[in-house]
Amino acid sequence: MADLEEQALQAEEKPKKPEKPKKEFVPKSSAGIYLKRYWQLYVLLLIPLVYLFIFKYSPMYYVLIAFKKYSIVQSVSEMPWAKNHGFEYFIKAFQNKDFRYALRNTVFLNLLDILAGFPIPIIFALLLNELRLKFFKKTVQTIAYMPHFLSWVIIYGLALQLFTPTDGLINMLIQKLGGEPIHFLDNANNWVGTYIGLGIWQSFGWNSIIYLAAISGISPELYEAASVDGAGRFQKMWHVTLPCIRPTIVVLLILALGNILGSNFDRPFALQNNLVLKNAEVISTFVYKNGIKGLQFSLTTAVGLFQSIVNVIFLCIANWFSRKMGERGIV
Amino acid sequence: MKKRILSMLLAGIMVVSMAGCESGNGGNAEPTGTGVPDPAEPVTQDTFEGDGSEIEGGNAAELTDGKFAETRKITVEVYDRENDGGSDPTNNMYTDYIKKGMLEDHNVEVEFVSVPRWTEVEEINHLLAANTAPDICLTYDYPTIQTYADMGGVLDLQNLVVDNKNDLPHLWDWLGTTNMYWDKSVKDGTLWAIEGKRANNNRIVTFVRKDWLDTLGLKEPTTTEEFHEMLVAFKDNAKTLLGDDASKMIPFSCSVDVGWRAALLIESKLDPAITDKEFYVNGFDDRKLTQNGTKDALKILNGWYNEGLMWNDFALHKGDTVEDDNMKAGFVGAFMHNWDYPFRNGEDSINANLKRIVGDNAKFVAVDCFEDANGNYTKYCDSTAGDRKIFFPATNDEPLASLLYLDWISDPTHIEYLQIGEEGVNHNTLADGAFTFMPATGEAIMNSGQNIDYTITCNGLHLSTPELTEKSQNNNYPPCDPEDVAKANAVANNGKKPTKNAKITAIEAENGMGESLSSKRDALYDSVLVCKPEEFDATWDQFMDEYLSAGGQAIMTERQAAWEALYGDSVTLE
Repeated sequence: MADLEEQALQAEEKPKKPEKPKKEFVPKSSAGIYLKRYWQLYVLLLIPLVYLFIFKYSPMYYVLIAFKKYSIVQSVSEMPWAKNHGFEYFIKAFQNKDFRYALRNTVFLNLLDILAGFPIPIIFALLLNELRLKFFKKTVQTIAYMPHFLSWVIIYGLALQLFTPTDGLINMLIQKLGGEPIHFLDNANNWVGTYIGLGIWQSFGWNSIIYLAAISGISPELYEAASVDGAGRFQKMWHVTLPCIRPTIVVLLILALGNILGSNFDRPFALQNNLVLKNAEVISTFVYKNGIKGLQFSLTTAVGLFQSIVNVIFLCIANWFSRKMGERGIV
Repeated sequence: MKKRILSMLLAGIMVVSMAGCESGNGGNAEPTGTGVPDPAEPVTQDTFEGDGSEIEGGNAAELTDGKFAETRKITVEVYDRENDGGSDPTNNMYTDYIKKGMLEDHNVEVEFVSVPRWTEVEEINHLLAANTAPDICLTYDYPTIQTYADMGGVLDLQNLVVDNKNDLPHLWDWLGTTNMYWDKSVKDGTLWAIEGKRANNNRIVTFVRKDWLDTLGLKEPTTTEEFHEMLVAFKDNAKTLLGDDASKMIPFSCSVDVGWRAALLIESKLDPAITDKEFYVNGFDDRKLTQNGTKDALKILNGWYNEGLMWNDFALHKGDTVEDDNMKAGFVGAFMHNWDYPFRNGEDSINANLKRIVGDNAKFVAVDCFEDANGNYTKYCDSTAGDRKIFFPATNDEPLASLLYLDWISDPTHIEYLQIGEEGVNHNTLADGAFTFMPATGEAIMNSGQNIDYTITCNGLHLSTPELTEKSQNNNYPPCDPEDVAKANAVANNGKKPTKNAKITAIEAENGMGESLSSKRDALYDSVLVCKPEEFDATWDQFMDEYLSAGGQAIMTERQAAWEALYGDSVTLE
């Protein structure tokens, strides 16, 4: 048996050998041909590569600041190493109560964002897809996109007009109806709701674009077949549209989970105020206040590095999980 | 196949571009980009000391009649206040005056670099970090300078100001040893910054609506209790005072910066017999958070808030003008702020707006009503120092020319011109010699009151004689009534208690803590102000714990130790 197998293996290997040089030969010549024929395109490719290198890769070198005692006048290589084998600032960060709060708030707010905010664009896209009046559909779509183009500073301005306890439109209405004003923005617990709500309002229209695109790629034959089988609108939505856009949903979910510790800066910074800091301070605002305003560059670089690493880990876990579930991953 | 070629190509390009970048880096050392001389060189202390001795040695040869043989060039920071209708702070009538004067007197070319006033600390941080800071920098924030000095980013001025003393007569005359040496370290004699001088160290005053008092037949309050009764009266009579706008009534207005905007109330609760030592140990926070008595003051304020006497929305308005707009529109009954606040900004001042919008009688006047335990109206204020701190970043390779600039700008005749401008344009001279000022337009407009942004060593009107200054001071806020200004000035001066200099400059625990602790402090003040009265103590304790554990306690402990090391058992400064 063993002999037979060996023979079989040898037999298999044999025909490979003469092919090998051939295999190497083919790409070489075609590489030359490709380069020659399309060299302009490859030169064009240089531009984004240089961009990536200068703005994404070379700054990574400065991650070293997290392990060194920062000095404004020395280059990174000259700075002395921090105590505790360079981990002084990581230890400091985790001993820092504010950082722990910021970490907790970041995770909490991002999870809420995913829980409350993730399904909405999908539902919106599904509903929009069912509209048959083209003009109405386009109008709704455009209006829903619009908030995406407003900066958070402007949105905060709008929120003030609506939500301040004495002058806010909504609170004035509540008071006219005999109620007590609600502290939407200056009560720590209500603030979370306002923050999430404003986030959804700002982004659901824009986020639905990708789902609409996925939906438009579904073959009409599937719907026709479903009709023939006697499926109603809701059943078509459930059994055709949703399964067809499932890969898109999964990819976006992975990306969202990969950003669980990430936080954009302008949204929490614009919306927060002194009365809600215990729920509103997130890592990005913590880094801004302590690093850029407080000059603790090493500490905040350490925090930033930690944040990135956790994000990568989350991304990998989510990706692995989705593959386990039989979906395509992104990495 | 294609993939493999592509990836090989990508890798190749990566290597090539990396090599390209590295050689670029080698020539430049740091990615600074601007025309600053190679930052690797002049930045290190050693090289600088070499430069310094060169200056000392070649001083006489370098200057003839105070002039350089070759034209030198320096850059100077100037605040940009972004006023409506203001002029370019780096290029206007006054900068031309300075540039011309410096070129004629010292053969030094001056270029101004504007830094936004309200984000000055962040901006100067960016400039310093990028090695592009102006040769002469200023900031109100000493810890920033200390932090950069510790990193070796600031020039030590000690030898420079002493060795060149003969060339700097005006600077030494005007600032004197007090301000020149205010920040000098007792430990190692380093001097990282020179303190600009306050010609006027008035601080905070309480303002109330005079016309409302008159309408309700009330007297000006003279005690905290009377002030409270007045607020209640404003609230109860909102209909009479504001008519249809009664719901917009704000008896007492305060911003997120409670420590500033209720300062007199807080200070009145401090123990009048507080020792210099105790004041210093608790002195890191300039809003007196940990001083004795502050909690009592906040408790009173919390009571007022819960009685509906204060502005509900204050916490939400960060850095916008809504509060000022409320004052201008006439909805506010009383507030505390800088002693000249309602008179600032000419036609756009609060009092001028009130007159226009509400009526001829409507105006804020200063009152003195927060008495301390002894019945005095103590007002803690800065000494003549404590204004802007001037420092030279390590990238400054013209320290002598920069010092000559400071000297030139401290010359009384130059200060006077910059403060009063042109006859007939910015001011008129009265029969008794005093000046009356008028709002200028166009080129002659001053972006800051009395051009303080240019007179960096001097804050406050400083004319040839003190009498002239006092007389002119009151005319300095057209179109506001000079009598109102005089009264605010008198109130501000009543019970003034200037800060003493403990001469302890570097407290290690303070490094980098300023921002995070002051934001904690504001969070504490704001939170205890709005909480329910029964939750006051718990809220105070919770936030105070956080403040102390986040570094507040460490600072106090180190301050105490530093004091005891320097003064032993003594608890008072001379």
